[in-house]
This record gives sequence, C-alpha cells and structure tokens, in this order.
Amino acid sequence: MTFIETTTTALLTLAIYSFLAGDNPFYKFAEHLLVGLTIGYTLVVTLKSVIWPQAILPVTQGQFQAIGPLLLGGLILLRPFRRWAGWSRISLALVVGGGAGVAIPAMLKARVLDQMAATVTGATTWGGWIILIGVLATLTYFVFTRAHRGAWGTSARLGRYFMMVFFGATFAYTVMSRVALLIGRLEFLMGDWLGLLRT
Amino acid sequence: MGTPRRWIFALVGLAAVAALVLKPGLPASVTQDTRSVYDLIESLDSGAVVMISFDHEASSLPEVGPLGAAIVDHCFRRGIGIIGLALFSEGTAAGYELLGRRASVFGRSYGSGWIYLGFRPQYTSAILGMGENIGDVFNLDYEGHAVTATALGSRVHSYNDIALVVSVADGSMPTYWVEYAQARYQVKIVAALTSVMVTSYLPYYESKQLAGIVAGLRGAAEYEQLLGHPAAGCRGMDAQSAIHALIAILIIAGNVQGWRIRRSRGHGEA
Repeated sequence: MTFIETTTTALLTLAIYSFLAGDNPFYKFAEHLLVGLTIGYTLVVTLKSVIWPQAILPVTQGQFQAIGPLLLGGLILLRPFRRWAGWSRISLALVVGGGAGVAIPAMLKARVLDQMAATVTGATTWGGWIILIGVLATLTYFVFTRAHRGAWGTSARLGRYFMMVFFGATFAYTVMSRVALLIGRLEFLMGDWLGLLRT
Repeated sequence: MGTPRRWIFALVGLAAVAALVLKPGLPASVTQDTRSVYDLIESLDSGAVVMISFDHEASSLPEVGPLGAAIVDHCFRRGIGIIGLALFSEGTAAGYELLGRRASVFGRSYGSGWIYLGFRPQYTSAILGMGENIGDVFNLDYEGHAVTATALGSRVHSYNDIALVVSVADGSMPTYWVEYAQARYQVKIVAALTSVMVTSYLPYYESKQLAGIVAGLRGAAEYEQLLGHPAAGCRGMDAQSAIHALIAILIIAGNVQGWRIRRSRGHGEA
C-alpha cells in the first residue's frame, strides 16, 4: 500500500475507535462510509461474478436458457410497485418452496440425526459419557410440562450447569476473538503506518 | 460512559502495545485440534487439489487472514493445487489477494498451481451444484477465463476430484458445507474459524462431520509453529496473552470488590 492509502486506512481506524470516547462525527462518517462501501462492493462483485458471466453473457452468445431465471429474478424487482407486486410472489414461492425442500432434509440429517448418532455411539470414553450426560441433562431442563422436582429437578439443574459452562466458554472465545481484531488494528497502526514495530 | 470503563480501555490498549513492542516471546503449545488439520493436509498426495472457500467479511481479516495464509502456505509448500472461491461477497477480493500473494512467494503459477473461481451468492445451490459439476456453477473464473480451459480446472469436475474443502469462515457457512457437501457428497471439510465460532462447531468436529477445526489467532500461531515459519499469528500471540491476563485480573478484582460491597451492605443492614 502507498503512504496515502495507509494513512487513509489508519485515520479511518482511529475514527472508528474514537467511539470508545463517545459518539462523534468522525465515527459516524467512518461508519456510514463502511456501510456504503460494503453495499457498493457487493453490488459490483455480484454484477461482475454472477450477472454478467451467468446471465448476460450466455444470452448474448445465443444460449437462451438463462432467460427463464432472469425473468423470475426480474419479477422480484416488481415488489415495490403496488400494481405489479403480486407477480413477485411467483418467484418468492419458488425460492421459499425450493429452499425449504432442500434445507429441511439436509438440516435434519446433519444437525439432528448425525449429531444424535454420534452422541450415543460416542459414549465409549469418559469424554463421550460426559457429552451424553450433558445432552440428556440439558434436554430435561427444557421440558417445561413437568415440574423440576426430585430426580428430574436434579437432572435439570445439572443441565443448567452444563449450559453455564457452554456460555462461559463461548464468552471467553468471544473475548479472544475481539482481542485478536484489536491486535490486528494495533499492528497495522504501529507497524504498517508508523513503522514502530520491528519484524 | 463512566470513567472506569475508559480506564479499562486504556489499560487493554497499553497492555497490547507493550506486548507488541517488547515481544516477550511467551511460550505457546500446539493443540491436538490444530495438529490434526496439519496432519490431514500433510497426508494428502502432492498434486492433490484442495478447495479453499473464503466465507468471511473483511472485518474478520485480522483473525482469519493469518489462519488462511498458514493453510495456503502449507498446501503450496506440499505442491497441492488450490481452487479458491468465496460464498461471501466480502471474502472475494481478500481470498484472491491472499492466494496471489502467497503463490508468488512459493512460485506457483495461476492456472496450474491455483485458480480462483470468484463469488457465488445462494450458497445452498452453489455448494450442491459443485457436487454435480463445478463448471456449471462457475463457467468463468475470477479472471474471466473458462474454468475448464485452465490446467487445474480441467482436472477437477466435482467433489470427487477434491481431496479437502477448507472453509475460512467467520459465520455459519461451515454448517452449510457440512449439510450439503459432507452429508451428501462425503467430501472432507475443515473449518478455519474465528475464535467466537469454536463452541458452535465443536459438536460437528466431535461427531466427525468436520474433519478438523483450526481457530483464531491462536490457531494461526500454532499452525505457523508446525510449519516452522512464525508469521502474523505468532506476532499477535504475546499481545493476546497479555490482554487475557489483564482481563482475568480485572474480573477477579471486580468480583472481590463486588463481594466487599455486598458484605459491607450486609453489615450496614444488620
């Protein structure tokens, strides 16, 4: 990157971090710039990588099979016009129906059946047993049609402890993730911009 | 916003700056999770093809950038071909730039050593479609060449020709790779994640639906150690450890203070 590019990036980074001292015009400017650039970038990438090679180019080369999807896509754009908005439902129905048909069996297999099978068959080690007990105890916590008393209540309480461990671990990983982002920006500011870090 | 909170921000910033400048070189071990991903790529034949999907936003680059670079370096070093793509539009340029930069270091040329397919929206149809025919989903690559006209692209028709898919991700995309590519086409999936996503994906790793997980700056540092080439991941780990130690001290101090306040109030009420 050139000095001007590095300096621009550094100033925008500082503008975003200025929010730590309170909301201010520099932060607002950087935030709006980010939103605008993201939308603009996505639009350009989609036009370059999808619309042009997959829709426009084939039609100009006489391959007219792209016309159907183009028309269906165009129908969705009629949504803001009250008189024609009904036509967009044809495309939306296809998207929702097809999407649900594809997603439901795949999700059921990967997220439920395979996970259940691994939980049961994996109970051959200490770790596997802890996972199995944790799953069963957590499930009892979410049964609200039965009072959490006696053995059932003990299991539900155990399930709550398992969830607390999960939330604690997730929060710690979140802190780790955010700290990594801070380090990345500090390395850029001190190293790439100011040249204070030795490699 | 109260003054104490600003002091905490300042302390965290100071700890990071001090660690980055002083470089204390704190010891770091390699976890089994990272080693298993390294061993998996190490076990692939030279000449195999790995698909790397850059499924992340630009804001995650400080975390997933070093991670992606370490995996790309490993593949290039072993002579493994890389097919890059992005299922998140923001990852498109980042992935292309990363692959191009690392390819020039290892002398791998575009077309034979690596190709970049670019971005596809609608990840469901993209992932499923590549299981039937990659050329149907990506007729042209990111540079505008016909995919089948490139040396690497002509060798690869579907997931049957892909040894491994690596999803460099900061969100839920590895789940979809598992649901649509692993479950249906039995292709091996590795998730290279931001740390915040780890607990969501450990169940998939434990159930062997994911072939491996490597996560965050720490995962990058571990991978760089295995490669014997410390880079951005290792550089950041000193600062990460310093900030974690500071946060742990602040949490303990805050709890002790809270306990004291509750105790003194209890005495007052009595």
